[in-house]
Order: sequence, then structure tokens, then C-alpha cells
Amino acid sequence: MVMRNVENAFRKFNFWQRDHKILQILKQKGVEIFSSEEAWEKFNFVRKFFEKKPKEGYFIWVKRQIDFPLLTCITISTPKVSQDLKNLLIVEKKIKVKAKVLCATEKENLCASHFAKGKVVLKPGAFLEYNHLHRWGKKDFVNPDYEFILEKEAKLIYNYQNLFPPENLLIRTVFYLKENASANVNLIVNGIKSKIKIQETLILEGKNSQGILKIRVVGRENSKILGESMILAKVPAKGHLDCQGLLVDKNSKISMIPALICQNKEAQLTHEASIGKISEEQLTYLRMRGLSEKEAIDLICSGFLKI
Amino acid sequence: MEEILLEVKNLKVKAEKEEILKGVNLKIKKGEFHVLLGPNGSGKTVLVQTIFGNPKYKVIEGKIIFEGKNITKLSPEKRAKLGMALSWQNPPKIKGVKLSQLLKKISKKKVEIKEAEYLLDKEINVDISGGERKISELLQVLSLDPKFAVLDEIDSGLDIKKIEKVAEIIKKEFLEKKVSVLLITHRGEILNFLKPHFVEVMISGKVVCKSSDFKKILKTIKKYGYEKCRKCIQKI
Repeated sequence: MVMRNVENAFRKFNFWQRDHKILQILKQKGVEIFSSEEAWEKFNFVRKFFEKKPKEGYFIWVKRQIDFPLLTCITISTPKVSQDLKNLLIVEKKIKVKAKVLCATEKENLCASHFAKGKVVLKPGAFLEYNHLHRWGKKDFVNPDYEFILEKEAKLIYNYQNLFPPENLLIRTVFYLKENASANVNLIVNGIKSKIKIQETLILEGKNSQGILKIRVVGRENSKILGESMILAKVPAKGHLDCQGLLVDKNSKISMIPALICQNKEAQLTHEASIGKISEEQLTYLRMRGLSEKEAIDLICSGFLKI
Repeated sequence: MEEILLEVKNLKVKAEKEEILKGVNLKIKKGEFHVLLGPNGSGKTVLVQTIFGNPKYKVIEGKIIFEGKNITKLSPEKRAKLGMALSWQNPPKIKGVKLSQLLKKISKKKVEIKEAEYLLDKEINVDISGGERKISELLQVLSLDPKFAVLDEIDSGLDIKKIEKVAEIIKKEFLEKKVSVLLITHRGEILNFLKPHFVEVMISGKVVCKSSDFKKILKTIKKYGYEKCRKCIQKI
């Protein structure tokens, strides 16, 4: 299914990598796209964003206003492949961009690994809506580790959705917000037979920056989920943290550790957190409509995972 | 002789530790339209929730028979598959799930109600009024294309124009198509527009009265309250 969808959409991807091979780089007006390795050689300024010369991954530099969404796709189709991606996305001043980023396995049970270390830089006044979709096999290991740097007055909407989780998921994201920057972050993770660790940090380091961090997790079928989220305010700024978990079966576990750290008396930080279960009443209601218990649980979870 | 669609025999039910239904008997034939009346807390909703298999209510004695088959221990979804549909009095909210999504999964036939169109895009029972919930319930029940529909307080929270509209839908979609209907009503206003074959009165966990003269029953209840029903000679 994923494979067919991927093939159908193939021609539209600005960057498509399967296993370790780049299958397509679609260059369009206003955007520079290279492999990270090539970008390292071509642009000196790129080097400061990578620890060392990268071997795989992409560099996308949006220099002018574009009227199409950026599409990237990283897939795995071979058993035991271990990707080690280094990605960099830069959006220039006052440019508005939408990006759809898909990372997925093309087959089940590949026992593959996907490590992705990325940096996203929004220059002053830039706007980015970044839709990050993950879809993995039940035996994969996945470790995205991203930093978003929002310069003065930049705006970010970040939606991460993982409805088909790997066996092991370790997701770490840090958002740095400069003066008047704002970030709206939504993370959705459906744990099914998975071990998941989420570490999300929003750092308000510029005056009047604002950030909202929302996390929704579902724990099903022996899942173990740990969600550590933090908002740190160093200056007068506003932040809100909202973590909700839905625990579906007795063998799963969800731990939520929300933290607020305020280093300025003018800053305003708030949070709400809860972990609940599916109500029997909702289940019975849907079963009386003819849905099986599993279908009813799937529907309730899909609703819970919408923000 | 007309075929019996639903038969409830000496049904005793408890919720947690309290016995709520104390030996209910009810017979509904194919194509019949029954109305169930009773004061608050008499067990009307518990009765219909039990008929539809809500696991919250434990059957301690008695049977529920649908089309000759004992369904007392059947799961709610299997009862739905047999052609039973219930409109809930207080349906729960299902956050994040649009009514259109649910209908896509459950519908056996396409139903169009002008008054319900704008509800399709809303989350199920979230941020809608009591009256809108009733319309949403009716739409779901109609979509299930049932042989037997139970409408629990379908008229509560509706203004008189909406009650007339709901009555019109019940008449057209159920009664004219010979779908058996059990309607629970508190105020009885909907009966200005509908004529049931029988009215049953439930008091303290028992059906104490059955009559084909619904006007007489309503008049008596209006005049004397349910106390009169306790003494009614038309005991079953």
C-alpha cells in the first residue's frame, strides 16, 4: 500500500531516497536542492550545520517565494538497512513555505534502522508549515533528532504524525525561538507493540516569543511510552504545554513528564497533562452501531490522535 | 397470526448491586409501533440498553428473544447486525471523529435529512445542542436500515416544529415501511403526530400497563400522574 502510494507520488518529490540511494532530486525555481554530501562541498556556510561531512541526506535551501509545497520522501525497502541521514532545510527571510516530509518503510518486517539528524533554519520573518509523516514496520528502529531554529519573527507550524510506529522509536526535537518568533508544535504518536521515547524541548530565548507544544499518544498492545517535554523561558515570553495520553490495554504503560522552567519573571508558562482510558460508554455506543470492539477502539483512538 | 419480532420474558436486571428491572415482559410484533411511558427512574432506559446488550447491565433472570432467537448473551454488535438500532437518550461524545466518518463505516443505506446535513462535518455529539444530538441519533439509526428501532426520548430538547419533523421522518421511514418501533417519550407531545398501536407504562422496574388506547392513557397520566397507573386494572 505504502509502496503503491509512494510510486504514484514519485514524480512530485523534490527529494526521494530509497535505502542509501537518491532516486530523484527535482529542482524547481526558487529552491536549491542537493544531497547533504554535495552541499558540504559546494557551500562553505553549510559546514557549520553539520558535525562532519555527511554521507547521506538532503540540503534544501528555499531562496525565493515558491507556490508549491516541498515534498521529500525517505524510504527503506531492503532488510536490515541502516540509514544515517543528515538533513538541512533553510528558509530565507520572509519566505512562506509548506513542506510534506515522509519517512517510511516500503515493506513490513525489514528490521531496518532510520537515524535522521536534521536542522531546520527559519530566517527572520520566514514561515514554515512542516508536516512530518512517519510510517514504519513493526520491527524497525527509528531515531529522528531535529533542531528547529526560528530567527526573529519567524513562524513555524510543525505537525508530526506517526500512526504506524516502529518497534522502537526515539524522537528528539528542540525548538529555539528568537525575538517575536512563534511555534505551534503538534506531535501524534500511536504506540502499538512499541517502545517509544519522546523528548521535546521548546526554548523561548527571544523576547515575546511564543510556543505551544501539544503531544498526543496512544498506548496499545504492550507499548511502553515515555514522553518528556519541556518549555524553557529565558526572557519575557509565553509558552503552553499540553500532553494527553490514552492508555488502551492493561499491558501498556504511558509516562508523561511535562516540565516548565521559567528564568524570567515576565514570562508566562502553563501546562495541562492527562492520561486516561477509553470509556466503556463510548465503546458500547459504537458497538451498538455494529462496530466490533477492535473497530470501535481504532475509531476512538483515531479521534483522540487528531489535534 | 402476525410474527413476534421482539419478546422480553420476565427480565430481571441489575446495575452494580441494585436490581433495576424486576421482571419485565414485552412483546412487539413485526410492523408494530409501541410507546413506552414511565416516570423518571422507572427503568425505561435500562430496559432498552439491556435489550441492545449494554454490558453495564447484568441480566440475572429472563430472556430477550429477537426473531425467535435468544439474544440475551449476544454482543451489542451482533445485535446490531440482526437489524436492531437504538437512538440513545444521552449519547456520549466521540472527540475527533466526525459523524460522516462513523456513517461511512456503519451505513447500510444512504439517508438524507436536510436538518442533519451540517452535523455531518461535526465531531460526534461534541459542541452540539441536545436537540441536534437527537437529529444525529435519528440519522444513525436510519442509516442502519433496521428491522427494529428504539428511540429513547427522541423528542426531548426539540421545539415543536422539530418534533413534527421527527414524527414525519418516523412515519415515513419506519412506520410506512413496517419497521417495528419502540418509542420512549416523557412529554408525549410527539404523539400529537403519531398513532402507536400500543402504549406500555413502566413503573419501578416493571411494565404495569398495556393499552391500545394511547389517548386514554395519556389523558389519565396528565390528569392523575403515574400513581393512577399503579392501580390500573389493565395489568398484564
